[in-house]
Amino acid sequence: MFNKKLLLLFIFSLIFFESSAQDCTLSIRGQVFDEVSKMPLSFVTLSVQQSTRNRMANDKGYFYLDSLCVGEYQLSCTYLGYQSKIISLDIRQDTFINIQLTPTSIALKTVVVEAKKEAFVGQSTTSIDRKNIEDNSNKNLSGLLENETGVYSIKNGSGISKPIVHGLYGNRLTILNNGIAQSGQQWGNDHSPEIDPFAADKIILLKGASTVEYDGGNLGSVILVEPSRIQRYVGLRGQVNYLLETNGLGHNLNARLQQYSPFIAWRISGTLKKYGDKNTPDYFLNNTGLEQASLAVQLEKSWKNKLFIDFYASTFNTRLGVLRGSHIGNLTDLKQALTNQVPFFTEPNFSYQIEAPKQHVSHHLVKIKTKYFLKKNQLLELVVAGQLNDRKEFDVRRSGRIDIPALSLLQYTFNSELKYTNRWGQNWKIKLGMQNAITDNTNDAETGLLPLIPDYIQWKNGLFGTLSKTVKKIHFNLGVRYDYTYQKVVAISTTLPREIVRYNNPFHTFSSMAAIEIALAKTQAISFNTGYATRNPAINELYSSGLHQGVSGIEEGNIHLKIEKAFKNTLEYKWFPTANFSVSALAYHQYFEDYIYLNPQPELRLTIRGAFPVFEYQQTDAHIYGLDLSTQFAIGKSISGVLKYSYLRGHDIANKQPLIFMPPNRLFGSLKYAHQKNIKIAKATYLQQIEFELTNRFIFEQKNLLPEQDFAAAPPAYTLFGLKASAAIHIKKYKISCFVKIDNLFNVRYRDYLNRQRYFSDEMGRNITLGLIFKL
Amino acid sequence: MKKNLFAALGLTAVLFLTACEKEEPHVHNEEELITTLNYTLTPTSGGNAITLSFVDLDGDGGDAPTITGGTLAANETYTGTLELLDETQKPAENITTEIAEEDDEHQFFFQSSISDLTVAYTDQDADGNPVGLSNTLTTGAAATGSITITLRHEPSKSATNVSTGDITNAGGETDIEVVIPIDVQ
Repeated sequence: MFNKKLLLLFIFSLIFFESSAQDCTLSIRGQVFDEVSKMPLSFVTLSVQQSTRNRMANDKGYFYLDSLCVGEYQLSCTYLGYQSKIISLDIRQDTFINIQLTPTSIALKTVVVEAKKEAFVGQSTTSIDRKNIEDNSNKNLSGLLENETGVYSIKNGSGISKPIVHGLYGNRLTILNNGIAQSGQQWGNDHSPEIDPFAADKIILLKGASTVEYDGGNLGSVILVEPSRIQRYVGLRGQVNYLLETNGLGHNLNARLQQYSPFIAWRISGTLKKYGDKNTPDYFLNNTGLEQASLAVQLEKSWKNKLFIDFYASTFNTRLGVLRGSHIGNLTDLKQALTNQVPFFTEPNFSYQIEAPKQHVSHHLVKIKTKYFLKKNQLLELVVAGQLNDRKEFDVRRSGRIDIPALSLLQYTFNSELKYTNRWGQNWKIKLGMQNAITDNTNDAETGLLPLIPDYIQWKNGLFGTLSKTVKKIHFNLGVRYDYTYQKVVAISTTLPREIVRYNNPFHTFSSMAAIEIALAKTQAISFNTGYATRNPAINELYSSGLHQGVSGIEEGNIHLKIEKAFKNTLEYKWFPTANFSVSALAYHQYFEDYIYLNPQPELRLTIRGAFPVFEYQQTDAHIYGLDLSTQFAIGKSISGVLKYSYLRGHDIANKQPLIFMPPNRLFGSLKYAHQKNIKIAKATYLQQIEFELTNRFIFEQKNLLPEQDFAAAPPAYTLFGLKASAAIHIKKYKISCFVKIDNLFNVRYRDYLNRQRYFSDEMGRNITLGLIFKL
Repeated sequence: MKKNLFAALGLTAVLFLTACEKEEPHVHNEEELITTLNYTLTPTSGGNAITLSFVDLDGDGGDAPTITGGTLAANETYTGTLELLDETQKPAENITTEIAEEDDEHQFFFQSSISDLTVAYTDQDADGNPVGLSNTLTTGAAATGSITITLRHEPSKSATNVSTGDITNAGGETDIEVVIPIDVQ
């Protein structure tokens, strides 16, 4: 048999040796095996990723894909009971490969594409794949990540949410959209990241100690939202998703179209969303509708496999309603709201109307990336990008001013990046780079109010270097980074007469990391990651001044803030003793010196509108530590399950009290049944991939909180069940995937500690989602 | 080539750093600001009017507000009028007219720590509900305490007892809430 294979390979090589590189006549041939038993797998589905022109391997596991052009491909292999595998191939001639598939039970985390893994040696990674993104295209970025260990969502009602990873969010968590640090008003807890996940193919979460390669004030975790390269597969391909949600009567339409030709490759992704008022089990959440329209265009061109130029442009536009009953005046109003079971302004009717208080947000991005191979092992990358973020927030105001925003900020950001990568000798790799980011933030005077944060220009120039090497079963990775940040701030004084006050702040920040990963045996791996990073205080922490309507508190910046320092260590252990069972444990500890936080002040501020609590940015020393546990198992070929637990504690060392606004501990479990056989429902019509999934999310009560640290005690623990049934209908060569998903199955009344609206209303009740995915 | 590129990028950064100066923001008049509340009480039996006031010229931050209390006569009825001003504008902008124009969306509430001091509405909006810009204040026995004046925006005027001046079910959001000391002699 072995000889036969070799012979085949030889013959193929001979036949196609002469074929021209310009034509799209290349092919991939190969055979698929079970990774554990090493037996060939018959009838495995293979495709050049996202193409519906699937090919099936024959009964001996052999397959053949033709009409391919020269270039980079992502070959995907799917087989029931096995993890889907995506293999990156650089095709210059006809290729033969052996593919090994892993039974489903082995940890999901190992699915991360090989090429990526190298960059994140020693970093704990979690990735959300395209299928997950497609099935949850109605969710925002934070919603997609929230069932992962170590991740939680900070919400402001049902439509606005942002991720929090290992207790860090906002200014401390870097989100990279397409390799560019997402710019905008990240400081606001009621500001969602302006990203449409549908345009992405993969969302990667790095939970390591430090990731020096990325700019942003990252003290640890990074979220990467990445589209894949356009597949080199001639012909037009696309996809249309339509999702209907019962809670909020939401419509969600996504479409994606792409085509490759040797001249240029292009892809367009777009999303339209419209939601009305959501409802709790008992009442409507009036004015919580949402409208969104986004579009992304991706173009790729290459010259002789040496020079690659990628263009990416996206526009994201949204209108979000904020629960009317959460817009209150002073502390008296808040106390009143806390005693109300049903928020004020609750009406008995559903509406799509979005009125004040509301947010209108647009974010536009243009990026050009040039990749040039100096030699086969040396790569130069240049990225230039521009971003425009326009945020307008409308409050309930007097005398027809309801149409004038109460907050209106325009931010331009210009990013540039130059990276040099060199691989040499025995698995050595060095990467050097520099990054510049210029941010220009301006308040529009149309508001007629004193701005919450001042106008400023910020320059940030960074230099970094990483070095990695693989020696047998050990990978190590070292990195250092230096940033020079200069802020020019123009503020308006809070005292009379109003004056212009200028501040010029230079900051030097530094970060370093070391990581090591050791494969202990065939079934175990351990990794340790240590990092030290410093972060300069952000503009809002230094200069914010004003009232946050949603929590009726006055926030005051502190111009005396110093650089924040953090030291983080993570230790991860993975054990996969059998094909049907795996365990992963990640312990982390982060020590902060001069941790910047909002400290409630003992005295209330008296204004003509009554008394308001005052929060001032101050610094303390703190610990944040926790544990992420996850296990996956399979019983037979049809049943599989996941169990995840996240534990986190935050402690203020200097004041000997808990850190506020830290995620409560939580447990997530899912049990899936996959029907092994196809069901024939008519001539040439089959029902495939029939799956049922039961999920449970248990959120513990946040007990690590003193009564005087909040207006109301943390809400009690809650548990939510979910159910999903999905199948794919094959009619001739077309495939339609459909699913029904029920969230909050038992219509539970609950409130969540990290939802800022927990003072005012319950969370959403039962929601049924119907989804249709059609691929061309 | 690599070195040149690095140098060029670095140079660009430095140029940007020195060349740009952030433009001065336009210091505009703050709209919608209420700096001053004057509550003028004229005794119906004759005599000088008394003005209670709450003044905070620089808004939420900056200096603390100035509160001026007053001395009222026992067992007297006063005609009360409320005046709201934005004194950051020159001349001061009268906010009272803004409230009067949107009287159906506003209502004042009066509460006192002195139990036999009462305030009754003498004005109405188009729907026949009280507003409170005009009112009568009646004192009882001599006592020392305070009066709390609250202005609610978008209250539920039809809710139970709201039209008689009970704030409990009013809802809405607070535009004004001031506590002024008074002495009944």
